[in-house]
Amino acid sequence: MGYWKDIVVGGWSLVEGMKVTGRALFKPVVTVQYPRQRLELSPAYRGHIELKVFPETGTHGCIACGTCQRVCPSGVIKVQGVKQHARGGKVATHYVIDFTRCSLCGLCVESCPTQTLQFSTEYEMEGPSRWDGVVDLVTRMEESRS
Amino acid sequence: MAEHFAEPVRQHLYSLNLGPQHPSTHGVLRILLTLDGEYIVEADPVIGYGHRGHEKMGENRTYLQFMPNTSRIDYLSGLLFNHGFCLAVEKLAGIEPPERARYIRVICAELNRISSHLLWFGTYLMDLGAFTPFLYCFDDRENILDILDRVSGSRLTYSYCRFGGVTRDIDDVFIEQTRAFVKRLRSRWKDYHNLVTKNVIFIHRTRDVGVIDKDLARRFGVTGPNLRAAGVPFDMRKVEPYEVYDRFDFQIPVGEKGDALDRYRVRLEEMEQSCRIIEQALDQLPDGPYRQERVRLKVKPPRGEVYFAFESARGLTAYYLVSDGSPYPYRCHVRVPSFGNLHCLTEVFRETLVADAISILGSIDIVVPEIDR
Repeated sequence: MGYWKDIVVGGWSLVEGMKVTGRALFKPVVTVQYPRQRLELSPAYRGHIELKVFPETGTHGCIACGTCQRVCPSGVIKVQGVKQHARGGKVATHYVIDFTRCSLCGLCVESCPTQTLQFSTEYEMEGPSRWDGVVDLVTRMEESRS
Repeated sequence: MAEHFAEPVRQHLYSLNLGPQHPSTHGVLRILLTLDGEYIVEADPVIGYGHRGHEKMGENRTYLQFMPNTSRIDYLSGLLFNHGFCLAVEKLAGIEPPERARYIRVICAELNRISSHLLWFGTYLMDLGAFTPFLYCFDDRENILDILDRVSGSRLTYSYCRFGGVTRDIDDVFIEQTRAFVKRLRSRWKDYHNLVTKNVIFIHRTRDVGVIDKDLARRFGVTGPNLRAAGVPFDMRKVEPYEVYDRFDFQIPVGEKGDALDRYRVRLEEMEQSCRIIEQALDQLPDGPYRQERVRLKVKPPRGEVYFAFESARGLTAYYLVSDGSPYPYRCHVRVPSFGNLHCLTEVFRETLVADAISILGSIDIVVPEIDR
């Protein structure tokens, strides 16, 4: 008795399962066909960092204090700056990041005292060389402005 | 079937390497099996392939700098590990996060727990040879990842918690999406049960397979859903409530025998309980700041030590931190649940078939980088 019951109940369970997959056949497709279709990026998306351009000054606000350099867990950031006037503060001339080592934690953005760092929205950054990840953000900002 | 082989003639023993690159070994794990025919005589898990030295890294960087590492120890429940580390440091340094931050953390942590269990559900069934449920649960899981991505900016390695708050506040869209997700997941249970739980092949491959009973679990320090499947209602959220878990009404699902089917049932029920916690937390969500006024970049806890245990998706996880008063921890130890869960397999695998071994290995839900860390 148990033998036949097992066969009937087991067989029916397979039919029930097939019903679920059958219903899914008529449901809309949920996958996004990536290269042709693109999703909207999250507002909090953490790409690599970039320098924010302030409209009041027309340039970035980096004072080369080195806070981001010290707070970075992976040693990604290297900042250099010069004093442009004897009494003025420093201004960053080089801001080099090695994106290949970045763990995208966002501590640099949080720690920046002048709020001049932000996350970029780039996400296709493959390259044939490891040096493709090394970017000077000051040069990048100037290129994007011109 | 095993009774026919009650006393196997062990003349032709041979070894088989399960892994390190087998699709069902979850990460880079190698299990050295000694076989007698198709029966396992001895199993020896070999770990250490994914060792990255997270504990040592914790000792030579500041508390905050270790935060991104925590979500990489267990990549499936990264937010839970973030949360636990945050709570450990807050306990050590005496930081009080605002009420709203506590609720946000709990909501996101429970979402992360569901996503971890959903991934286990998919991969476990894929180990058993069922491909379709994998697609369905990844569809559901994608919803959670989108919700968490929107608020934390990352899909897997969140580093969302900060000492004294979280990085970003949640908004109405988040609450709406989360409620919609909970509703959607509830409507999916019926499909999951029809497709998997009632399936005769699934039942035959999991019932009475890989029994981890209470004694065995205690001997090897098995925790989490694997322990609860054996009938022990041990969950850090109830036993030693941290954060705001004592304000919610939820149950600890337990199994009876501790076989693979019980572990499956416990995890499925746990997802439902997490949904309940999320709903209650969203109802009670207070207004106010989501982080402390002053952002602490350098925490300098007083001299002392802290042991903080919490429940990750896989079981009891704990951070042991020793502070010497400097911004760097003197010692940073992580207690991970998968280590105990994996090593009880040396006992469980004995006298089982190789095909069952795959089922057992999948059912205990190990994350190997967490063991190696």
